[in-house]
Amino acid sequence: MGLHLSHESRAMPGPTIDLTIYENEEALLTGLRRRDPDACACLIKRFAPLVYAQAMRLLGDADEAEGVLQQTFIKACDKLDTYEGRSGLGSWLYRIATNEALMHLRQRSPRVDLDDVAETIQTDEMPQRLTPWTFDPATAALNSELRTVLEQALASLPETLRVVFVLRDIQGLSAKETAAALGLGESAVKVRLHRARLRLRELLSAYMQEH
Amino acid sequence: MTCEELIAYLSSYIDHEMDAALVAEVQEHIAHCRNCRVVLDTTQRLIVLVHDEGQRTIPAGQRRALFERLHRAFLNRPQTWDDSNAQASEGNTV
Repeated sequence: MGLHLSHESRAMPGPTIDLTIYENEEALLTGLRRRDPDACACLIKRFAPLVYAQAMRLLGDADEAEGVLQQTFIKACDKLDTYEGRSGLGSWLYRIATNEALMHLRQRSPRVDLDDVAETIQTDEMPQRLTPWTFDPATAALNSELRTVLEQALASLPETLRVVFVLRDIQGLSAKETAAALGLGESAVKVRLHRARLRLRELLSAYMQEH
Repeated sequence: MTCEELIAYLSSYIDHEMDAALVAEVQEHIAHCRNCRVVLDTTQRLIVLVHDEGQRTIPAGQRRALFERLHRAFLNRPQTWDDSNAQASEGNTV
């Protein structure tokens, strides 16, 4: 199966390349190892938006996300010769990006509000908006306005809750993996995930009521 | 089970981290409580929605410069032993 152009490739400029020139990821990898400029352009066009999105969600800062994007691809260059291709290039880059972003988070000076790390649900986090959502999630994911609302809601969460939500519900890591990545206990991960979900549900319900 | 208890257990229920007896209590509660049913349903929809959440686009003004920096960094990466070895063996076959 070829590497077909998809919507995300439009997010990056650069030379017009028929990505199907690489029959599969293995062929792309061979091109990358040979320093084929087309293979490099193909990799960046295909995966930079994915990497940037993950960095942005975790860090909530465009400059830092851009830094992570660059570091991810530079690190990928360095490790290309030892990459064994077991997980797929996208997953591999995604993992490097996540680690880079988490490193940035650890280097930040702590700005933790005690309420943000509470181990129980706060009174103001109890559900207030009780209107059903009528949309179909499968088609709603394509709605750009809703996506913007979702990204804004996510960005409004405190870092302690947002990072757990991104790793668990967007990236799909287990509670154990998330706990290990963040140096937290699994119970703290579960409580923070729950609080993040309740807050996001509330924020999105406000939008759903108006639309 | 009260509404407050159900909300406290909501994520454990969604993530299948509860024992069977508590699952039964949750199901009994939501069968009769419209509000908790809405909260459960909308939370599940949220999770489905974000799971394959669309990609954030790189700001338009930065795309070209960023692409060029990445492209250059990639092509200018230092030569490794494997690279020179691969090129040498390619040379041998010509």
